[in-house]
Amino acid sequence: MKHIRIYLFILIAATSLAACSKFLERPPKGKLEESEALKTEENVLAVLNGTYNTLAGGTIYGGRVQIISELMADNLDGQLLSEDFGEIYRRKTSIFGDYKGDYYKEAYLIVYKANKVLQYLVNVGADKKDRVEGEAKFLRAVAMFEVVRFFAQPYGNTTDNSHLGIPIRLVPDIKPNDRSTVKEVYAQILSDLGDAARLLPASNGEYASKYAALAFLAKVHFQMNDFAKAYDYANEVLVQAESAGSTFSFDPTIDTRWSLGQSKEGILLIKNRTGNFEPGKDLRDRFRSDVRLPILYFNNQTYSQFLRPNDKRKAWLNNTKYADKIVLTKYNHDQFDLPIVHVTEIKLIRAEAAAELNDAQKLTVGLKDINDILQRAGLDKLLSGTSAALIISAARREREEEMIGEGNRINEIKRIGVRNNQNIDRRGSPFNCNGFILQFPNNEKAGNANFVMNAEGGCL
Amino acid sequence: MPHKLLVGIFALLLALPLTSLAQNKTITGKVTNEKDGTPLPGISVTPKGGSGGTSTSGEGTFSITIPASTEVLVFSGVGFDSRDVNIAGQSVLNVTLKATTINLNEVVVIGYGTQRRREVTGAISKVSGDKITALPTPSFEASLQGRAPGVQVIQGSGLAGSGSVVRIRGVGSISAGGDPLYVVDGVPIVSDPFLRKNDGGQNQNPLATINPNDIESIEVLKDAGSAGIYGSRGANGVILITTKKGKSGKPRFNYNNRFGFSTWAVRQKFLDGPEWLQMRQEAWENDGHTGKAPLPGGLTWDQATKNNTDWWDLLTRTGFINDHNLSMTAGNNWLKSYVAASYGKDESYIKGNAFERLSLRGNFDFQVLKNLKIMLNTAWNRGNNLRVPAAWAGGIGDAMQNALPIYPVYNADGTYFKNGMTNPVFRREESKWRNTENKYIGQFAVEYQPIKDLTLRATANIDYTTSFDDRFESALHNDYTDGRPGIAKRYYFNASNMQGNFTATYNWNPNENSRFSFMGGTEAQEYKRKAYNSDIFAYTDKPFWKNKSLYKHVRDSLEASGARTLGEVDAWTFVSFFGRINYTLKNRYVLQVLGRADGSSKFGPNNKYGFFPAASAAWIITEEDFAKNINWLRFLKLRASYGVVGNADIPSGAYYSKLSPGDLFNGNPTLYPDNIGNPDLKWETMRNVDVALEFSILNNRISGEVAYYRKTTIDQLLNTGIMYNTGFKDAWRNLDGGKIQNEGIEFSITAKVVDQKDFSWTVGGNISRNSNKVISIGQLTADAVGGGSNDTRIIPGYPVGTNYLVRYVGVDPSDGLPIWLDVNGKTTKTFSLDHRVPVGSVIPDYVGGFNSNWSYKGFDLGALFTFAIGGNIYDGAAKRQAGVITDWVIREDLKDRWRKPGDEAKYPRLTMNTSTYAGLSSEWQYNSTMFLYSASFLRLRELTLNYNFPSTMFKNSRIRGIKAFVTGMNLLTFSKFPGGDPEIARDFDNPQDRNMSPNVTYLTPPQQKSVSFGVNVNF
Repeated sequence: MKHIRIYLFILIAATSLAACSKFLERPPKGKLEESEALKTEENVLAVLNGTYNTLAGGTIYGGRVQIISELMADNLDGQLLSEDFGEIYRRKTSIFGDYKGDYYKEAYLIVYKANKVLQYLVNVGADKKDRVEGEAKFLRAVAMFEVVRFFAQPYGNTTDNSHLGIPIRLVPDIKPNDRSTVKEVYAQILSDLGDAARLLPASNGEYASKYAALAFLAKVHFQMNDFAKAYDYANEVLVQAESAGSTFSFDPTIDTRWSLGQSKEGILLIKNRTGNFEPGKDLRDRFRSDVRLPILYFNNQTYSQFLRPNDKRKAWLNNTKYADKIVLTKYNHDQFDLPIVHVTEIKLIRAEAAAELNDAQKLTVGLKDINDILQRAGLDKLLSGTSAALIISAARREREEEMIGEGNRINEIKRIGVRNNQNIDRRGSPFNCNGFILQFPNNEKAGNANFVMNAEGGCL
Repeated sequence: MPHKLLVGIFALLLALPLTSLAQNKTITGKVTNEKDGTPLPGISVTPKGGSGGTSTSGEGTFSITIPASTEVLVFSGVGFDSRDVNIAGQSVLNVTLKATTINLNEVVVIGYGTQRRREVTGAISKVSGDKITALPTPSFEASLQGRAPGVQVIQGSGLAGSGSVVRIRGVGSISAGGDPLYVVDGVPIVSDPFLRKNDGGQNQNPLATINPNDIESIEVLKDAGSAGIYGSRGANGVILITTKKGKSGKPRFNYNNRFGFSTWAVRQKFLDGPEWLQMRQEAWENDGHTGKAPLPGGLTWDQATKNNTDWWDLLTRTGFINDHNLSMTAGNNWLKSYVAASYGKDESYIKGNAFERLSLRGNFDFQVLKNLKIMLNTAWNRGNNLRVPAAWAGGIGDAMQNALPIYPVYNADGTYFKNGMTNPVFRREESKWRNTENKYIGQFAVEYQPIKDLTLRATANIDYTTSFDDRFESALHNDYTDGRPGIAKRYYFNASNMQGNFTATYNWNPNENSRFSFMGGTEAQEYKRKAYNSDIFAYTDKPFWKNKSLYKHVRDSLEASGARTLGEVDAWTFVSFFGRINYTLKNRYVLQVLGRADGSSKFGPNNKYGFFPAASAAWIITEEDFAKNINWLRFLKLRASYGVVGNADIPSGAYYSKLSPGDLFNGNPTLYPDNIGNPDLKWETMRNVDVALEFSILNNRISGEVAYYRKTTIDQLLNTGIMYNTGFKDAWRNLDGGKIQNEGIEFSITAKVVDQKDFSWTVGGNISRNSNKVISIGQLTADAVGGGSNDTRIIPGYPVGTNYLVRYVGVDPSDGLPIWLDVNGKTTKTFSLDHRVPVGSVIPDYVGGFNSNWSYKGFDLGALFTFAIGGNIYDGAAKRQAGVITDWVIREDLKDRWRKPGDEAKYPRLTMNTSTYAGLSSEWQYNSTMFLYSASFLRLRELTLNYNFPSTMFKNSRIRGIKAFVTGMNLLTFSKFPGGDPEIARDFDNPQDRNMSPNVTYLTPPQQKSVSFGVNVNF
């Protein structure tokens, strides 16, 4: 009898011990475990697909990139702004402030996801491998391009661009890292975009195509004041845009670019799917002016840019609906498709780059670009033979109007600052003053004592 | 699987043959009080060195059957000196016991067993049930305040049902929970205050539903020598709650009630309308403007000057407290039972806020056979929390924030005024919120003694919770204009916490001088929580709790359509093996060795099991011959322990790298990375030394304890401090090179100053000094670990939760601008976050309590003072209430501001522009020592007058005794803090915030002050 008890006990103890190891595994329900899940092509593609959602989400191009840019530039009337908006507007961001901190983190989440896709690229079939690699690198480059423009002094601020840029993270881990130089960051961006342009197909549905990569190559080189390359890439995109059967082209009227399905301008365009994914909500929340006075409105100097007779784009601003307030009407829609990069911008790049290069043949192309835009806006065309200098100033002015509220102005203040060593900021800051770039979130220094933060303050 | 384990345990028990006991004898008798001859119920009667036993009935009688060989019976009971009585040749025994002030023979619950107080080798504080029910606190754990040395209890806010932050000998954790493990009758229960996150400015407190009247005693295990038996979950200490059990005798009943009134203890004062306008105008003019300052809320000066709304007054009231308990205990040779029912409702002083508690409990002990006992402990508790938003979420928080005195409640046309704020009166009237938690605790245990001295015990436990968060918003509240009457929403979850264990205890006395006790056991625990993927809602005119059929209908149709599914959102398991050996030599040397191996689903695959050993010893010096002749020394014990315990209080599944499926994008599926996983994730480790001296002198009139401890925590669990450029804000890991030390001294004493027949006076108290110090945080910097938005940090050389602020010197009398100190201590007038230095600590130097009790005939007067000395309070809302003038209310002390050259003032010149104070980026960053205050306070926590009606009054009735009482809680508070109540545990975002930011207030509602009275009837 006694033995039976002992055997029973041993038996039970043994079975319970063996069962323990399984009992001690509780993978969270409704979640997939990464190393298992990403063995399939389908799931790697799903991670890549979700990255677009992040890119077009409210924290990146769905609003925050444009809003931070507008706050820092000189188009808004921000006297009464307080809290995070107040400190960004006053060009004195500190190590705290979730609005820009969350933007920074989210941009690097795109980098992380792109890196994850690249890490598991081996599990993608040969037929899709190039496309997946190309898209991942495109997304990584675009995210880094926006971050480096916000958080580092502009390209060209030092002759060798040895001034500090942003951290480059090419492996998805949590190891502390340091800032790379602006030179290194731009080299990485160009390398990624170059790979993307090489790997991506000419047409890729709603996803980044070869032309999206080329358009960003044009944008990056233009930001670098590297006009030859900017021209070439812009030209390659626009030759396609002007060819029959292209999925993107120059809109004939001014009021379609922010619309539902009426614009063909998007070289990379995130489509609205009502009830499922409605990009641009944050943009509408801060600027939309038909239902209430928005928190962001514009100043008189900006408004005066739009006062040329017959300029149809004057309709983009309204100075009568709210007393003493100039509000934007561009985003007065319940929904719209969100263009990440569009033909008008690339045309403006080609025009200005052509004029900068001052090459007769290119100048003709550039002049036509400007005239297309002027004509569409209801304004007189420039005469043929207009000087390169005049084309440059025309391109800059049309750019300011065309891209009002799209967060473009801040980058022009800096680019032109470097190009001409000139401060065009109407609020009077030197283009490379400390507060003209955002301070890194304190977490960067917190996680790495050697991390060099930006110098603060002293812009206005 | 634990199910298999449990089945196995029961199968094992059933397989055991029922041994019949040979040669017994039966002894009967009666136990009385030596002082007055009254019968003593509930005295335990056990054969010395043997097993089994009984306890005396309500009439003090007992009957025990024991082996014929037994020579001595031990009589022991709470509050009496135990006695060994030789029974040679007797079959009827009448025994008298003597009451003691220090009860060395009291039974102490130690986790998987009990010990006599004198032989305890670990650091254990015991608080009896009557102390727990003495005050109408929002939840039982708040009643521990000031009662046990080394236990710091910071009661939460004045909201009904709010929880407390309980710290046992300091905090050594960062991101992992720093709360003790709560164990009810052996069941580790779920006490996580974050099950509903930080909702409405309050963390839902799962402990609030527990009925304090059911609690017999609470034991607090403080060191490795005691808490070590809980292994990977013992590092923050363990709170063992033992519920009342049935006693032998005829049915006896107890009914008690309490009625009372509550208000706030201490509140801060704000400027009224005219004063507010004046300050704003002054700021405007200081900024160089002329004319009238622009006003918020779209008001003109004309309109604003007509209003002077006292929002605080509109949102508060005198709360009513109302509490009833009925219990019954009865027992015979076969069955002992305790049955209780209770109802209570505690209205706070905030309109619309109340906590209602209903509970039923039945504890049954069946003596099936002489050597087989079955125990069933079961309780059902319901807590209905009628919620109101508070703090940052509005409501009473609005009255401290942006509900300005210049705003009216209503517009001229009778509609609610809603500009510039969420009108808190509107919100209260047009919305309802109730949180209901049902908690079922059940325990089924079988205790079997196959042979003498061997006890096998198998237990199956369940702790099951259902939780309903019900909200209703009217059509007016939500601006519905399409005829919808309003919306009812319910957020539901249920949590099941199942646990089974098996223990074997063997007592072995090889010779007269040596006693061994061996205990070994195994345990499995599984926790699962299920919730709907979103709320169940319907457009209706009342909340779901008033229309249950509608809820069921809506829920079923949403489930049927697939729009809602009830799925597992949280699950974790533990499997444990543990053992303990006690050895007592010559009644004076006690040695204990214990160990526990814990495996958990929370730990990564590379660190699945942890082992936690502890050793402790005690030397009862007064048993030595040399001490026996010292008359004044009645008892002296030296004890020491060393051991390793762990903390595993982290979320489940943290080590997995998780991907979540999301909505389609462009018609294709998406996956989102949730986190960066970590297969190395494990418990954090705490090494603990404890040395103490327990004494009792002068005929037991003075007794007490002095203890020293040092706790060193390493491998801190950390979920912060990673760079944002990883793409994430946090990642779980064990901090490499982290080391935090808590070192402290505790002292407690009880003295019977006067001990006469009609009059006695007892004083007592305890004081604990905890010195908390971060030794190292590896590679991390000062800003790496922050306590939520609370500006506390973890910095080497300073305590956990150090205030990291810019030092404020004062106002420059010439221009009224603030003067700061930079990191080097040089004065500067430019504010910068680079000037921040560690300047304060949210941990007080000393905490404790002292009490005094006077008894005169039937009267008892008791007072309990609690206190904190040292440490700081940071008022996180003051930067808006007494900083830059914005659309917030203004605190009264800002009146002391600079106005003209030459003024010596506490606060700088008023401004509406952050740029006036050079270097300040925004009003939120205005964190400085300007708002750092001393946290020292002294509080009259309890003042109670009891009257026991003389027993002669009801000689011939069934009534045994009646006691009437009146109690005041928090009647007096002494503090220098201008921001209201100095005892602060605000709403927290997560455990890290909770570890680091007690004593940081942000619009936290002050605690309740109450006066209550009632009767307690035994019959």
